[in-house]
Amino acid sequence: MSKYFEIARIYMKAQLVWRADVVFNMIFTIARIVFAYLLWGVIFTGKSTVGGFTFYGMMSYYIVSSFLSQLEMSSGISGEISERIRNGTFSKYLIIPVNAEGYFAAMEAGIVLFYLIFDFLAAAAWIVIFRIQFVFSHDLISILCAVFMIFAGMFFMLQLNFYLGLLTLKYQGIGIFLMIKNNLVALITGTIVPLVLFPEIMVEVMKFLPFYYVTYLPSMLLTGYNQEEAVLGAAVISLWCLVMQVVIKMTWKKYIRKFDGVGI
Amino acid sequence: MENIAKLENVTKIYKRYKKKEGLKGSIEGLFKREYEEKAAVLNMNLSIKEGEFIGLIGPNGAGKTTLIKMLTGIIAPTKGMIDVLGYRPNDMKNAYKKQYAVVMGQKSQLFFDLTVNDTLRLFKEIYEIQEEEFQMSKKYFSRLFGVEELMDVQVRTLSLGERMKCELIVALLHNPRILFLDEPTIGLDAIASKQIRKFLKEVNEERGTTILLTSHYMEDIKALCGRSIVINHGQLIFDGKTKELFEKYQDNKLITATFGYTVNNSILPDKAKLLLDEGYKKCLMVQKHQAKAVLEQIMGLEPEDIMIEEEEIGAVVERIYQEGAALHE
Repeated sequence: MSKYFEIARIYMKAQLVWRADVVFNMIFTIARIVFAYLLWGVIFTGKSTVGGFTFYGMMSYYIVSSFLSQLEMSSGISGEISERIRNGTFSKYLIIPVNAEGYFAAMEAGIVLFYLIFDFLAAAAWIVIFRIQFVFSHDLISILCAVFMIFAGMFFMLQLNFYLGLLTLKYQGIGIFLMIKNNLVALITGTIVPLVLFPEIMVEVMKFLPFYYVTYLPSMLLTGYNQEEAVLGAAVISLWCLVMQVVIKMTWKKYIRKFDGVGI
Repeated sequence: MENIAKLENVTKIYKRYKKKEGLKGSIEGLFKREYEEKAAVLNMNLSIKEGEFIGLIGPNGAGKTTLIKMLTGIIAPTKGMIDVLGYRPNDMKNAYKKQYAVVMGQKSQLFFDLTVNDTLRLFKEIYEIQEEEFQMSKKYFSRLFGVEELMDVQVRTLSLGERMKCELIVALLHNPRILFLDEPTIGLDAIASKQIRKFLKEVNEERGTTILLTSHYMEDIKALCGRSIVINHGQLIFDGKTKELFEKYQDNKLITATFGYTVNNSILPDKAKLLLDEGYKKCLMVQKHQAKAVLEQIMGLEPEDIMIEEEEIGAVVERIYQEGAALHE
């Protein structure tokens, strides 16, 4: 296990080298909150609730979901795997005694831990500056389920991106898969608009998909909504993680033999 | 010495997309694709003994890198059997990975944004090396490679030669039983290449590490490898002592004679080929078996100075590869 801690640590250290990235990430987080504050301020003019949300409830949801979606950084993994398979440097992960998926999970954990600190500071600063009356759940089960879902959801996204990267072994180009995934994720994770504002039937369909449990449901739970979905949500995302793990194992076994490492 | 690697009838065939020329060909390729098969390694039989230093020689596309990739498990053979240290490399077992290391000249394990020490610390954990052993190995190799003062420097600021030395330290840190080196001196200047050759020799002799080296530089092979394997078009065309390889293919000797007077070419031995003519200084190429007779004739002309050299290595390589190509045809 210590090897994976060290992988996480080295990627965390690597983030610290580039100071501009840290600053811009913080600015980006702040800009998103400012934008949301202005946008929802206009929408709430003359209304006390929209779709069951108060203004501060909406802002709280937005800050939490924005914070979580900022932490979900696994999309780079599919690109990196794809690129490395195509240029032959994926062999780097095949010759060392580590599990490749574990390596990428540790790598992501290292990067996320680093950004967690700065994103948290940025979000907290704006709660104070805008004097947002932050709405937070008081239900322990909801909080525990939400925390579990955050980790499971991030792990699922890592699995998905790892899997999509591996598809390069068969299809060479995975751009179309990534495009579909990115659009689905943007819509179903509820980072653009809370899903509660969508037609009910659409939301019911989304509940079968894992993306619903990645940022949307944890954000809702933490801000005191959808408490009745907490336990079932934790079970569904766990099931998706299990299914994805089986799919990854089968794909790895079947396609890794296709890796030719580029060059004769 | 014990056999630690064995290949039996190993073949690797790559399937590659054959695209027609131009935009039309690219569009056609969207609907119908033609593939061709290329045998990178063909029915190869080979065995490697523990502690050997083997040179793998061959022109570009001969199958050297493919062979190394199969031995390390990066790619699977299309057919045949590979056994290294009792493992099938393509099973990718961690227990096997801990016993070998591979350095590919153009692929890096170092983290460019961090220091060499950071990467070493990571590899200590990955290979589960004890702290004491780690410190000893780090000290030994950083001294051996003369890079002690570079351990805390950001990798991206190192020169190519320095970086290659650090790549080798990373690879050797867990004391592997086999070291695969694919073009480790590519792009390096003569001094850095010479230093790396010296270090590799010491690692092989002192630590007993079996080394399989591919290189286009025959100086590397001649200086380091007791055994040479020549492959071309995926087939083995020579497997034996490096000394014998050079004896077999180094057909000529170069004789440079300096005289105290201008020598007329007509009095030079007719069995020799004149390569350089500066009047008082002549450079002749002569077949090895005729060298003694030619030398006696030149001595009869009372030269002031005489120098006998082996034929240039480049010419030897060309001859080896030509023979390989002829066999293929």
